[in-house]
Amino acid sequence: MTHPLRITFAALLALPLLSACGGGRMVGNDEYGSDSQRARVQGRLGGAGDGIVVFGVDRSREAQGAAAAAAAGGGAGMTVNAFLWRATLDTLSFMPLASADPFGGVIITDWYSPPASEGERFKATAYVTSRQLRSDGVRVQVFRQVNQRGGWVDAPTSAATNSEMEDRVLARARELRSQSAGVR
Amino acid sequence: MRKILLGTTAVVSAVVGAAVMAPQASAQEAPTVRIGGFFRAYYGYTQQTGQQGSPGLNGAPIASGGVAGFLAPANVGANARLGKHDISTDTEVHVFVNGKLANGITYGAVIEVNFNNLEGRQTLQERASAPKTTAGLDEAYAFVAHPRFGQIRFGDEDGPMGGLMNSGWVTGFGTGGIFGEWESFVVRSGGARTLTAPGGLGDSSKIIYMTPQFFGFDFGASFAPNYNGGEDTGCPNNGPTGFCDRAYAFVGARNIGIPSAIPDFSVRKNEYQLAARWRGNVAGVGLAATAGYIGSGAARDLNSVTGQQARVFNNLNIMQVGAQASYMGFTVGAAYMWGDFNWFYGNNLRGGRQSSQLTVGGQYSAGPFTVGANMFSGLFEGAQRTTFTENAAGGFTQGVAATGRAGERRWGLGVGANYRLAPGMDLLAEYTYFSRREQGVDLDVFRTGVQSRATASVFILGTRLAF
Repeated sequence: MTHPLRITFAALLALPLLSACGGGRMVGNDEYGSDSQRARVQGRLGGAGDGIVVFGVDRSREAQGAAAAAAAGGGAGMTVNAFLWRATLDTLSFMPLASADPFGGVIITDWYSPPASEGERFKATAYVTSRQLRSDGVRVQVFRQVNQRGGWVDAPTSAATNSEMEDRVLARARELRSQSAGVR
Repeated sequence: MRKILLGTTAVVSAVVGAAVMAPQASAQEAPTVRIGGFFRAYYGYTQQTGQQGSPGLNGAPIASGGVAGFLAPANVGANARLGKHDISTDTEVHVFVNGKLANGITYGAVIEVNFNNLEGRQTLQERASAPKTTAGLDEAYAFVAHPRFGQIRFGDEDGPMGGLMNSGWVTGFGTGGIFGEWESFVVRSGGARTLTAPGGLGDSSKIIYMTPQFFGFDFGASFAPNYNGGEDTGCPNNGPTGFCDRAYAFVGARNIGIPSAIPDFSVRKNEYQLAARWRGNVAGVGLAATAGYIGSGAARDLNSVTGQQARVFNNLNIMQVGAQASYMGFTVGAAYMWGDFNWFYGNNLRGGRQSSQLTVGGQYSAGPFTVGANMFSGLFEGAQRTTFTENAAGGFTQGVAATGRAGERRWGLGVGANYRLAPGMDLLAEYTYFSRREQGVDLDVFRTGVQSRATASVFILGTRLAF
């Protein structure tokens, strides 16, 4: 090996020290080559997991979900802001829940009649639209029906109802955020 | 293919998602143990030279403790060719241990059990033999990795330039093209089968360090003090011999010190590898390039009378550069290696020529289909041109083995196609052609005259699956 080559390779060898100082991206085990014939087969019969778990808990799917959520800026397993989502659920929890989709950010309640006013009922649909904790990250739409001669008929809600619900969600989200910060 | 795809994915991640992928503290994970592996079954149609022999005599039980061999026919011509058809199966079982600490350190081990260490049944005496499917250990290593400081692997593993970080070797189609599994169908006589490729260097027990990736670059280095892998010293007898891991001089090293002569009986010492790899994405084209070096010392020969030591082997001194590019399902790559080594990464005898090898390949994937081709061409030292003999003075005399020897050319090509029946299961077809040519050396001893050429062509049809 010639002298200049030795110097070159010595310099290459010293470069890892820079990486330790400057940080870097962790290289996954699957980014290295393998001489195994297994490595040449695309995919795995067992699905997404690399092999069959015989001991421990298979977190590969969970990890994939978290990675997708992290890439999107949301919480683990979610694509919308976790505080807004939790606060919306809390705020609408007095009504029966019909469906909740944490990936789409949609919460739909069932019809609910307040005990004090049995002649009318309400239904709410909430959209969590933001990955950040922002005041415009949630939108609530409340629907109202009144009982007329034994049948439910659509009726208008007051214009302030929707924004009041949104304010309550945001207040609850702020509360959750401050609690979370306190824990840390 | 998977390797290339993953590599390409990593390229994209490295460039586009650098911020997202920055090291983050994350939750501790209890260790998991996984079982994985693969199975394949191929039909092969083989045409090759050097296939004349006496099958009726070969493989007869031999006396206990004897050395396995074959009986050559008494006369040239008293022989028969082999057939052309065969079915070959192979499998491996891998164990993966993985865990993660709260401080971000990941750790684990990989143990690969294979069943193809014996190329034929090894017979000690009647009813005392080991089948060719006997289990053996391939890679077996532990690793500790940290997002900031990189990864250490400790155990029997290929090394940064022995397969971990190479670029330019396109093998994601068929069984791997000319670097695939056609050798499973070709008998050794004539030598028309041995390749020089990543993974061929061997898994000498070593320590490997590989850095994190920064600005697209990552680096690797490894050191293996001796040739063997696995447990124990390698010494099967009471007295230390050349089989011992730590033997640095032994009688007859000049004759049997090259790895393939007798497995685990090699003169390779203090093997070290260095690698620098860059991966990136330019205008949507995934790129990867690697430059690296493999070096080693060599054990010395020992005069059987005086004990005088002599350096009869060249050190290993291998440089390699490679690059590949991927775009819209197309992948092309090339790698070039040169320096002091023979065609299976052995140390040449002093006076042997330097070797060089170029490989190029390309493949295209569309949905479940992949097609590709690759080839290589290399010049190597053939039957060694120099000899070393013990002399009256108690040392060694260097001589000329035969006149006119100038090394050998090996070249081959492979074309293949895969259909992915299901994730992890391929149907495949492949054709390979391999040629070895060495002027003045008989590569087919059972044919009349000097045959300076040995060839093998194999057509494979089969399936393989991984879990």
